[in-house]
Amino acid sequence: MTITSASANPSSAFRFPLPRIHPRLRLPLAIVAIVLVAPFAVPPLLGIDPNAMSVLERFAGPSLAHPLGLDEFGRDRLARVLIGAQASLRVAVISALISCTIGSLIGLFGAYFRGLAGFLSTKTADVVLCFPPILLALLVVTLMGPGTTTLIWVLSIIYFPAFARIVYLEASRVSQLDYVVAAKALGARPRRVMFRTMLPNISGPIIVQLSLTAAAAIVTESGLSYLGLGVVPPDPSWGQMIRGARAYMERDPLGIIIPCVAISLTIYSVNLLTDRLRDVLDPKGLSGGIPILSPRRPKVQAAPQSATLEADTVLRIDHLDVATNTNGTPIKLIEDVNLRVRRGRCTALVGESGSGKSLTASSVMGLLPRGVNVTAGDIMLRSHNGETIQVTTLSGEDLEAIRGRDAAMIFQEPMTALNPVYRVGDQLIEAAKIHRSVSSAQAREEGIEFLKRVGVNDPVRRFDSFPHMLSGGLRQRVMIAMALSMQPGLLLADEPTTALDVTVQAEIIDLLIALKNSAGAPGILFISHDLGVVAQLADEIAVMYAGRVVEQGPAATVLGNARHPYTRALLQSMPAAHEELHASRSDTLPSIGGTPPLPHERPAGCAFRDRCPHAVSVCAEVRPDLTSVDGPDHLAACHLTRGSAV
Amino acid sequence: MLHSAISRLASALSMLFVVATLVFAIQVVIPGDPAELLLSSAGSTPTPENIAALRVEMGLDRPLLQQYVEFLWGAVRLDFGNSLIDNSSIGQTIATRLPRTLELIAVAMSIAVAVAVPFGTHAALRAGGRLDTAGSGVSALFAAVPVFVIGTLLILLFAQTLKLTPAGGYADFGSAPIQHLSNLVLPAITVAMSIFPIIFRMTRSSVLDSLSNEWVRTALAKGLPRRAVVRRHVLRNALGPVVTVIGLQLGILLGSTVLVEFVFNWPGLSGYLVTAVEQRDYPTVRAIILVVAAIFIFINLLIELLQMKLDPRVQL
Repeated sequence: MTITSASANPSSAFRFPLPRIHPRLRLPLAIVAIVLVAPFAVPPLLGIDPNAMSVLERFAGPSLAHPLGLDEFGRDRLARVLIGAQASLRVAVISALISCTIGSLIGLFGAYFRGLAGFLSTKTADVVLCFPPILLALLVVTLMGPGTTTLIWVLSIIYFPAFARIVYLEASRVSQLDYVVAAKALGARPRRVMFRTMLPNISGPIIVQLSLTAAAAIVTESGLSYLGLGVVPPDPSWGQMIRGARAYMERDPLGIIIPCVAISLTIYSVNLLTDRLRDVLDPKGLSGGIPILSPRRPKVQAAPQSATLEADTVLRIDHLDVATNTNGTPIKLIEDVNLRVRRGRCTALVGESGSGKSLTASSVMGLLPRGVNVTAGDIMLRSHNGETIQVTTLSGEDLEAIRGRDAAMIFQEPMTALNPVYRVGDQLIEAAKIHRSVSSAQAREEGIEFLKRVGVNDPVRRFDSFPHMLSGGLRQRVMIAMALSMQPGLLLADEPTTALDVTVQAEIIDLLIALKNSAGAPGILFISHDLGVVAQLADEIAVMYAGRVVEQGPAATVLGNARHPYTRALLQSMPAAHEELHASRSDTLPSIGGTPPLPHERPAGCAFRDRCPHAVSVCAEVRPDLTSVDGPDHLAACHLTRGSAV
Repeated sequence: MLHSAISRLASALSMLFVVATLVFAIQVVIPGDPAELLLSSAGSTPTPENIAALRVEMGLDRPLLQQYVEFLWGAVRLDFGNSLIDNSSIGQTIATRLPRTLELIAVAMSIAVAVAVPFGTHAALRAGGRLDTAGSGVSALFAAVPVFVIGTLLILLFAQTLKLTPAGGYADFGSAPIQHLSNLVLPAITVAMSIFPIIFRMTRSSVLDSLSNEWVRTALAKGLPRRAVVRRHVLRNALGPVVTVIGLQLGILLGSTVLVEFVFNWPGLSGYLVTAVEQRDYPTVRAIILVVAAIFIFINLLIELLQMKLDPRVQL
C-alpha cells in the first residue's frame, strides 16, 4: 500500500482534520473507539475472573452467566477474549507510537539536514527492510526471549523504517516549498522549522501510516503469540487463545471462532479507519483520474438529418450542446456551437482554458470524458471515401473506424501524449498496422517516410528511439506524423505549441503552415488561446467564452475589426513582440481581470459581463445572441455591437 | 543497461554484506553471554564448566575478528556450521527444507496473481461498478484476517467439517504425488488469500492511474480498438507497480509462511526456524535469516532489473 501525497497547499489538506471531524470519519472513529475502550471498560463490569477455572463445566455452551460459554479449562470466554484484547491492543498501540516517533524523527532530520544524516537515515531503514518482518521479529525473540516487552521492541524495530521513509520523502518534498524556504530564510531555528513548519504539513501521511501500523502490529503480535513466541501464558492474548483452542477444534469449534472473529473485527475496523483517513486526506485518490475509456457510451439521440456536407467542407458542427450529468442535474458545458472547417483551410478555436474549445474537439472524435455527453446538435464529418458521417450517432467500433482515418488529433503535451514504453516508430505505425493490415516492413517504411515529411532529421534512428530520448519539438513532430499517417481529411490540433519553447513553437507553426499549403492537405481545426499563433495560421476564427462562441468570422475580419469586448481583450493581451511570446505560455491573460465563470455558475445574461469594461444593465438580464455585425460572415454576441460600436 | 545492471548487482552484494555483518553483530551487541543464555534457557543454572565448554564449541573463545571472518567465509561457502541442538549440518537441513517453502510460496503466488490481476484490472476498467465493489469488499475482508486465522478457519471448514482435504502434513512428491498436492492445497490457498488484497488493490489503482494517462487518449484518437488500447497502452504501463508489489510480497512471504507452515505442519524452512528460535539455537537462526535475507535481496534485484526492462526510462 502506498501513501500518496495530498495537495501541496499548506492550509488545506494536510492540516489536522480535527477538531471538526469529517463526516466520513465519524463512523470508523466511533467503531475504533469502541474496540479500544471496550476491552478495558467491560471486564470490571462483568466481574468475572478470566483465569477462574471450573473444569467440570469445560466447553459449556453460551448461557446467561457466560454469554460466550466456557473454554477448555472452563474459563469464561467473553472475559478472556476481552482481556486478550488488552494485551494485543497495548502492544500494538505502544509499538506503533514508538516506531512512529523514532521513524518520524529520523525522516525529519534526514530531510532537513540532508547530506550524511539523510544518507544514514535512509540506509538504516533500507537495511531493516532487507529482512522479512516476521524473521526479524524471530531473530530478536531468539536473543531476548519471548514476552510483552520483547514484543514491543520487535514491533517498533519492524515498523519504524516505513515511517522513516515516508516522513523523509514527504519532508523532502515539503522542504522545497515556499513557506518552508521562507521560514528558513527568516532565520527560524531548525527545531522550529522541523516541528512547527514541516511536521504539521506532513501529518496526513503520518496519521495514515500510524493507523496502518497499528493494524499490522496487531497482526504480527497475534501471529507471534500464536507461535508461542509472543505474549506468554498465563496472560491471555488472541493468538494464544487460537493456539490453545486448536487442539480441541473438533470438539469445540466455537472456541477457535471467537478469538478469530475478535481479531478480524478489530483489524477490519482499524483498516476501515485507515482507508477513510486516506480518502479524506488525499481526496484526489477517490476520483482516480478521468478515464475516458468508458466501456459503454450512451447512444445519442439519433434522428440524423439527411443533410450532407458542402463539397469543400470536411467538418461541420451545428448547434452543438455538450453537458455533464454527474449529480443528476445536467450542467451545460458547451452551448449552441456552430463551426465549419474547409478542406485545406484552417479554422481556429480561440479562448481561455475552460471555455469549451477542447471539449468541442473531443466531441468530434467521440472522446468526451466519462459523464460528459453531446446532448444536442449535429457533427458532420467527411469520411475518407467522401460520404458524410453523423458522428453523434456513432458508438463503439464505428467511432474507432473514423478516429485516425477521417479525423486525427494532436495534443498539447508531446511529453505525455506518447507512451514512454514503446519506441516512437512503433507508436507511429500502430494504427496503420491494425486498420490497413499492412506488413511490418511496409508500415515501417511508410512511418520513416512520414517522419521525413514532418522534418525529422535522421528519421531511421528516430524511428527506433524511445519518446524520452527526443526533445519536445521532435516529439510533437512525431505526433503530427502520427496524425498524418492515416491521411485524414480533418486534423484537430489542440494547443499543439503551448507546451513548447518559443523557437520550437515557431518551427511547429511553420510545419503546420507548410502542411496547409501542401497538396491534398487536410482541413485543420486549430485550438489555441494564443491569438498571435492563430493569426499566422487561421483562415477563420471562432472565439469561445464560457461554452459559447462569442465572435466568429474570417480571420482577417475578426483580428482586424474585433467587435466583442472579449476578443478585443484577447488581442490586447497578445504580446506585441515575437520574443515575448513565451510570456503568453500560461493561460492567464494579464489584461483581463477576473476569471471565466465555472460552468455551473454561469450567470443569466452575458457570461462575460463581470469582466467587461463596457457592461451595461441589459447585459445582466438578457443573454446576447450571436448575430451578424458589419457583414453576413462576421458574427458577434454582444448587446453593444447593435447600434453603436464599442 | 549492462552497466547499470552491474552496479545494481554490486549494490545488492554490499547490502548482503551489511546484513551478514548485522546478523553477526547482534550476538555481540546483545547483553549477556550467548552460551550462558542458551544453557540457562533450559531452566537450570549452568555450571561455569558447561558454559566454558559451550563457548569453545560455539567458537566464542576465539578473537572477535577471527569469529567474524570465519562466519563470513563459511557463509560464502554455504557452510553454516552445525546445530547446537542435534549437531546436524545446518546447511544441509536448509537445503532440504528451503525448496518446500519456495514451492508453497510459488504456488500461492501463482494462484493470487492469476486471480487478483484480472480481477483488479476489470474492477478498474469498470470503476464504481458491481465487480469493483465486490473486489473491494473481498479484499477488505481478507486484509482484516491474519494469515494464521485464515489457515485455521480453512482447516475448520474443509478438513474438520467437510473432510475434503487433510488438515496438514507433508508427503514427498516423488513417492506420493497426489498426497503431496492434496497437502499443498489448503496452505497455498491460505497464503494466496492473504496476499490477494495487496495485489488486487495495487492492480486496480495502477490500472486506474494508467487509464488517465494522455497517451491512452492518443491511442484512442488514432483509432485503435478498445481491446488494443487496454492491452497495449493501459495494462502494459500498469505492470510496473504490480510487479514491484509482487516482488515485495515474495520477500515478505519468506517470513510470513512461518505461520502458515506452523498451522499446516508443512515442514519447510520456517518450521525449522521456529524450533531453532524456541531452542535458542543461535547459529541455525542466524543461518536461516541470512539465507532468507539473501533471497530477499536477490528478488529485489530481479525486480529492479525487470523494471528496467519494462520501462525504458528507468535507468537505475
